[in-house]
Amino acid sequence: MAKLTIDDQEYEFPDGTSLFEACREARGEALPHFCYHPDLPVAGVCRLCQVEVEGMPKLTIACNTTVRDGMVVHTRSEKVNKAVQQILELHLINHPVDCPICDQAGECGLQNQYMQYGLYESKVEIQAKVKKHKAKVIGPYVILDMERCVLCSRCVRFCNEVTGTGELGIFNRGDRAEVDVAPGVELDNNYSMNTVDICPVGALTSRDFRFAKRVWMLKSAQGVCPGCATGCNVRIDHEAGRIYRLKPRYNPEVNGRWMCDRGRMTYKQVHSERRLLTPLDGGKDVTWAAAREQLARMLEGKPPALAVVSPHASLEEMFLAVKLAGAEATVSGPANLDREDGDDLLLDADRTPNRRGLATLGIPELQSGALADRLRAASGPVLVLGGDPARDEAVAGAMEGREGLIFVGDHDGPTAQAAQLVLPAAVWAEKAGVFVNRMGRWQGFQQAVARPGAVRDGWRILAEMLSLTGAAPAFESLRAVRRGLTAKVLPEGELDMDRMPEFGFMPAGGER
Amino acid sequence: MKEYKILSARFERPDGHKLSVYEQEGGYQALRKVLGGMDAAAVRETVKASGLRGRGGAGFPTGVKWGFVPQDAQEVYFFVNADESEPGTFKDRFLLDYDPHQTIEGTIISCFAVRAHLAFIYIRGEFGWLVDRVQTAVDEAYAAGYLGKDILGSGFDLDIIVHKGAGAYICGEETGLINSVEGRKGQPSIKPPFPAVAGFLGKPTIVNNVESVATVPWVINNGPEAYKAIGTEKSPGTKLFSVSGPVKRPGVYEIPLGLPFREFFQDYLGGMVEGEELKAVIVGGSSVPVLPAAEVMNVNLDYESLQQAGTMLGSGGMIVIPESCDMVELIQVLMHFYYDESCGQCTPCREGTGWLHKLVKKLRGGEGTPADLELLEHVCGGMAGLTICPLADAAVMPMRSFLGKFRPEFEALIQETATTGPRTRWPRGEQE
Repeated sequence: MAKLTIDDQEYEFPDGTSLFEACREARGEALPHFCYHPDLPVAGVCRLCQVEVEGMPKLTIACNTTVRDGMVVHTRSEKVNKAVQQILELHLINHPVDCPICDQAGECGLQNQYMQYGLYESKVEIQAKVKKHKAKVIGPYVILDMERCVLCSRCVRFCNEVTGTGELGIFNRGDRAEVDVAPGVELDNNYSMNTVDICPVGALTSRDFRFAKRVWMLKSAQGVCPGCATGCNVRIDHEAGRIYRLKPRYNPEVNGRWMCDRGRMTYKQVHSERRLLTPLDGGKDVTWAAAREQLARMLEGKPPALAVVSPHASLEEMFLAVKLAGAEATVSGPANLDREDGDDLLLDADRTPNRRGLATLGIPELQSGALADRLRAASGPVLVLGGDPARDEAVAGAMEGREGLIFVGDHDGPTAQAAQLVLPAAVWAEKAGVFVNRMGRWQGFQQAVARPGAVRDGWRILAEMLSLTGAAPAFESLRAVRRGLTAKVLPEGELDMDRMPEFGFMPAGGER
Repeated sequence: MKEYKILSARFERPDGHKLSVYEQEGGYQALRKVLGGMDAAAVRETVKASGLRGRGGAGFPTGVKWGFVPQDAQEVYFFVNADESEPGTFKDRFLLDYDPHQTIEGTIISCFAVRAHLAFIYIRGEFGWLVDRVQTAVDEAYAAGYLGKDILGSGFDLDIIVHKGAGAYICGEETGLINSVEGRKGQPSIKPPFPAVAGFLGKPTIVNNVESVATVPWVINNGPEAYKAIGTEKSPGTKLFSVSGPVKRPGVYEIPLGLPFREFFQDYLGGMVEGEELKAVIVGGSSVPVLPAAEVMNVNLDYESLQQAGTMLGSGGMIVIPESCDMVELIQVLMHFYYDESCGQCTPCREGTGWLHKLVKKLRGGEGTPADLELLEHVCGGMAGLTICPLADAAVMPMRSFLGKFRPEFEALIQETATTGPRTRWPRGEQE
């Protein structure tokens, strides 16, 4: 441990701690910076995190210094403030200051830090600024405005160190230096939009989000990416019922500070034209009242003969499906669906968010033939919860012409087409729930946006079905569902699902 | 006027670059002495005791630098820095052109001292012919058994690779040099770690200037005491000065450190050419503060005296400036140089060198105001001491000293151009 003094207060940090992080903790806010990033190697080029260390002749940058016993550090001295001001001014002299048309405005390191430390008079004439390339498309998701760049090299380091793909470099030198892709190269790795996240200014912006919304109008909810079994923690940025972007949310146990481009685009499915927005009876739009009557007629007060649960459903929904159909009559499948190639960074080959949830509740996953057989053998109504199992040919064959198919789902497709009764249910961003990721970690997500049309929360639809079968107890709240769920699969008192730990919950023996 | 020939013995010797001549004059005897019975520590101690200071510009004691290599290091690399690019400096090219074997011998001894088995001689890209000259000498040394496996039967192995730079000032900074040899962009790395701990390929690496390395054989042959007997107590030995400007005898001189400038100027350089008066001198390469004639006449040419006078010995690239020279034009040339050569990674240097250059150009373009002089000073304040390497300081030091010592010239220019329009004479490469 090293005992040191930061701004006249004594602190103790483990040996080897970065002085930058020590100062962040001591001050309650980070030192001014552009190039430092906790997950990237130190570059030390923006020169903003200057601190005064007693006994050293010059100011020093905190990011490339480790704490030492007895160190006396000043982060707010006049000398430091003056240096920071001057260096910020130098960052700004060739910047176009085009904040009114810049997507980064409102979450821009240059804006924010200039407000705090800036000099408020410009000493540079506009015509004297260095001109560089603007609005250059460098990949499928990323666009570059080189005049806004402060050359912090975070994006370059990300592509060198995290993805190892090395698409970006800094070309030329002096104030002609520019970030760019090499000739013939595109920034097209599956993690390219992380460069947008870590770009402290508006140099790299998302083509998807470009000019879509001013960031200060966005509201945020905590989500979990539904794109694969990794379950990257995300922030859902939305406004007026529309999601504008997903951003990775820090979880050191799962995704760190990154997520993949494919995952970021999953929000598009929420607003897809293929969304099921009203109940359908025999392919015709009906009211919920009419749908409820039809449901009661089909069930005849009995549980469905079979429930086919998708690994896209939430853990709560899965639990209710088992409650409804009974453990013997609840299955999942076909097991071959939603499996593609993964990578060794974050993207899992299993493209469903909650397959591990099936195992948690003991729901067996059947291969396509076995599932088709079960469908044919089931006498009575069949509940299909989520996903679209009829994308599988054998399953589609077993569903074709079958009567009594009830689909609680979100998107139109072969399953919805085959179903007698379709009940439109909320997708992940429209409901609260839990997914169990590939490592067995329970991760909660919040409702971000209002449910469109006549869409209802999945647990409510299932709870209502349950009440139609006369089963007790009736679940009147999600909280009640969760209590039932934890009572079934966890030792008592181990988890309150309404208060999920920040980084998720790992049951004993969860990791495989 | 005592002559010293520690470094310059073969500068005017016909065929001095050939192995036969070098051997004839006692060449490779120091190497035989080292390999014949000294151990690495003894060599390091000898050089340390000589007080030899790095001749690249910073003046850090060479033997002390060698001592930074961790004792348990298994893989050590050695670089001879011949990326001589500091404006006004042309001494290393003399050493390599006229007497390459002296540097090669020094390299072998230095490598033995730091336990390196691979050395690079990194030659500035523009010195194309020097690459051939040094390569030929290295080939000769291999053929004579001074390089390769089991040198002179001692069991010590060493290979030398002659590497040609691509023409960037910043590759003379030791970490920029290492990055460039590794195939990366030639720009300095943050320190720590220092190259002596983690340099080339992440292994301990020593980078020494040509002149420092070339001094080593003499120190081994004559002993540290003989070396210390020359020069001053804290600046022992001799130093090469490369002198340019309208003096009667410009060129490269080997003089004992501590020599009064006045004596050097009058006795060695012969004073100014007819019709020119001395106005100022940049003593140690373009990056050090300029001294007006009245000040420079009272200094001695050693590290401490020059520091006391507010400048630095630097590389010994002495630029003599006559009265007829326009100081603002001269600073424009220099500001263009640093603007052009800044690697661009640190913001204060990248943006600052560009801004200084623009401001000086503006003055010369007839659009300057007295406020611009304050602004120049302000920009310097945002650069000095705030970057990874000293390039920002190297631009700030001349800028500040020109402004400080020759401010009336700047003010007169502003006044004059307000009525007569821009100066028509522009430095080469700076025409609009």
